[in-house]
Amino acid sequence: MKVERLLWLGASVLVFAGFIYFWQLISDYRWVSPVFLPGPDRAWQALVRGITTGDLLVRWTATIERMIYGWLLASLAGICLGALIGSSERARAYIGPTLELMRPLPASAVVPLAIALLGLSETMVLAVIAFGGLWPMLLATVHGFSAVEPRLYEVSRALGLSRTAVIFKIALPSSMPDILAGMRLSLTVALILAVIGEMLASRDGLGSHIMLAARAFRSPDLFAGVILLGVTGLVSAMLLSWFESWMLRWRESR
Amino acid sequence: MVSVNAKAAGDPILEIDKVNLTLGGHEILRDVSAQIGNGEFVCVVGPSGCGKTTMLRLLAGLYQPSAGAVTYRGQRMLHPRQDIAIVFQDYGKALLPWRTAHGNVALAFEAMGAPRNGRDEKIEQLLVKVGLGGQGKKYPNQLSGGMQQRLQIARCLAQSPAVLLMDEPFGALDAMTRQGLQDEVLSIVRETGATAFFVTHDLEEAIYLGDRVIGMLPHPGRVAITVDVNLPHPRNQLTTREDPEFLSLRRQLFDFIKDAES
Amino acid sequence: MNALMRIDPRGMILPVGLIIVAEAAARLTNLQSDALAPPSDILLSGIKALADGSMLYATWQTLANAFAGLAIGFSLGMALGILMGLFRPLNRLLEVTVEVLRPIPSVALLPVALLVYGFGHRMEFSIVAFATLWPALILTRSAIAGIEPRLLEVSRALQLSLGARIFKIVIPAALPRIFVALRLAVGISLIVAVTVEVTTNPMGLGYKMMEASQGLQPGLALAYLVWVGMLGWAVNGIMVLAQKHLFGAAANVEARL
Ligand SMILES: Nc1ncnc2c1ncn2[C@@H]1O[C@H](COP(=O)(O)OP(=O)(O)OP(=O)(O)O)[C@@H](O)[C@H]1O
Ligand SMILES: [Mg+2]
Repeated sequence: MKVERLLWLGASVLVFAGFIYFWQLISDYRWVSPVFLPGPDRAWQALVRGITTGDLLVRWTATIERMIYGWLLASLAGICLGALIGSSERARAYIGPTLELMRPLPASAVVPLAIALLGLSETMVLAVIAFGGLWPMLLATVHGFSAVEPRLYEVSRALGLSRTAVIFKIALPSSMPDILAGMRLSLTVALILAVIGEMLASRDGLGSHIMLAARAFRSPDLFAGVILLGVTGLVSAMLLSWFESWMLRWRESR
Repeated sequence: MVSVNAKAAGDPILEIDKVNLTLGGHEILRDVSAQIGNGEFVCVVGPSGCGKTTMLRLLAGLYQPSAGAVTYRGQRMLHPRQDIAIVFQDYGKALLPWRTAHGNVALAFEAMGAPRNGRDEKIEQLLVKVGLGGQGKKYPNQLSGGMQQRLQIARCLAQSPAVLLMDEPFGALDAMTRQGLQDEVLSIVRETGATAFFVTHDLEEAIYLGDRVIGMLPHPGRVAITVDVNLPHPRNQLTTREDPEFLSLRRQLFDFIKDAES
Repeated sequence: MNALMRIDPRGMILPVGLIIVAEAAARLTNLQSDALAPPSDILLSGIKALADGSMLYATWQTLANAFAGLAIGFSLGMALGILMGLFRPLNRLLEVTVEVLRPIPSVALLPVALLVYGFGHRMEFSIVAFATLWPALILTRSAIAGIEPRLLEVSRALQLSLGARIFKIVIPAALPRIFVALRLAVGISLIVAVTVEVTTNPMGLGYKMMEASQGLQPGLALAYLVWVGMLGWAVNGIMVLAQKHLFGAAANVEARL
């Protein structure tokens, strides 16, 4: 069983390698102009060069930092606000529809407003990331808190749990699946907005790196940046999903 | 109106006095009175929807009467109390799925602010008492239905309750598991001297467990009959159920339910 | 679940109150700002932009790009999703490729598209296509995996051809959940289109918003912001209604990526 799974995984890696090889062929035989599409070899060289000279590394960490700070800010605010709104029927009736109205607003659409208010600053980028990441968190937390099994509230009344104990021992853990799903979505949004913020505000980071590379027709540098962004997305999603399955280990154990 | 008097000597521990209850515009209970003596085991039977659960929730302090009063040791029940424990019928919903068996019992100690010292040992003792010794690390969804219900009982026992309110606790379990748990509950109640209020659909279960059985009727919910059970303790799944007294009580309650449903 | 259907007056207090407070505050402080504008100004600018057709033209550009990209991305993703859902070996062989490509943030391809196509429609909808392809693929695949196995056995027992199997059994059976994926993808397409316009592409609503903001017309910029929100809300509302209408209560499934 386990062996079979590994074999398939190996085959799947081979298929992926095949695609990369195909990409190499495309550039070797000039099917697509190398101005647009450098081969994986040149993209890799640019990547290694960027990392060893440190340029790319600095930008990469800057992007990751922005993403994580904005995301943490959004998560914290989203969980607290969502808990407040979700745990009260009344608050939901008053605030819920407004949230629904705001929900479809693309976070990037507030960028012009944010620039006008905060200038092309670091704060602006962080504010946009936090704003964009807030919605998935907020909606997920509200949903989680309003979907707590009512029987558990009765149990806590019968046990005489205090109000804070009910929040931390009943409502929060019970909403955890929703909260974690919201955090996952929020992290994706945070990466996208970090890149956009860097592009627009020309803050040093992968976003501005790939934009400048494209403007200067340095396609290997561009693809090196894209690869790093892909890696960032992949690794952060993987870490979070491990964290998620660890937090929710009580669910799978059947 | 049939008044139900405490069999046990002395003041009743729980008393329902001329209670009416209206929920969402519907009259659910009308003029219900009952007294439960200290240490008594009272069972409640009646057709579905007659208000058994509602009565239990009144006793728990989860509902407030629209008229009349529910008192515990002479004081009005205005909210749930830690010395009154509730065993819910839907054990699947009443346990915290993200906590282990151990953690679920611990919740009761946390609620009481009990000291951490020796807590683990106490929890293990409680788990052993309900037959879950060594299962503390398992999550509720790794336990069978019967084990989950035992776990809920263990959590209730952690409250060291003076009163145990049980709402069809064994309703969803198979006959064998049920009988085992009946005997366990009986011995626990006798051992701790707790008062028990036990809702069930099963007439035989009511007679087997109870010192007294209350029969209720619907539309609106009211107490219609009460019978004393004078069967010897300790009870035994074979001999008690063959006792002539048991059979005649069963007949009496069976007729009552049949009349109620016709 | 659905804010379109029931209107609780309590929910209106907050937005209406905020608008009134914003208006009053702007008037009392005699607001002179490059970023903010009183609601009345926003409304007026919005009406003016609507009347002279510039807002509608920009809306048309944005929607055209979003839906062109959606059409390409979603049908490609759906086709792949169906194949991967039906043929487990294919699914397993492509697993790594999908998992590696999927997390690339769509905006990372913005400069690539810019390099290849320059400004214009093509760069915008190619990015929308990339962004909508993945949810379409993933959700279609899981929709197929969720089909009652009996149905697939029936189609095999009847010896249906692959085409007949897909069009007569698989797609109808998975349609409610595929539609949920479409609803999600429609939202994404609009968001991505506006994002591309805000960031680089000089056309559509995003660009108009940026232009107004940089031209120190905060009223107009905010009017566009509100308009984009209303558009997203309306598009989602239409999709929800369509879903209800097409699949009834059976379609009450939520998409989780
Ligand atoms: N919150 C409520 N609002 C309105 N009516 C209620 C509420 N709770 C219960 N009822 C009604 O009160 C009546 C009694 O309900 P209750 O749950 O006490 O019945 P029960 O005797 O426990 O039935 P069962 O044996 O099926 O559990 C039912 O007709 C029920 O519909
Ligand atoms: Mg009941």
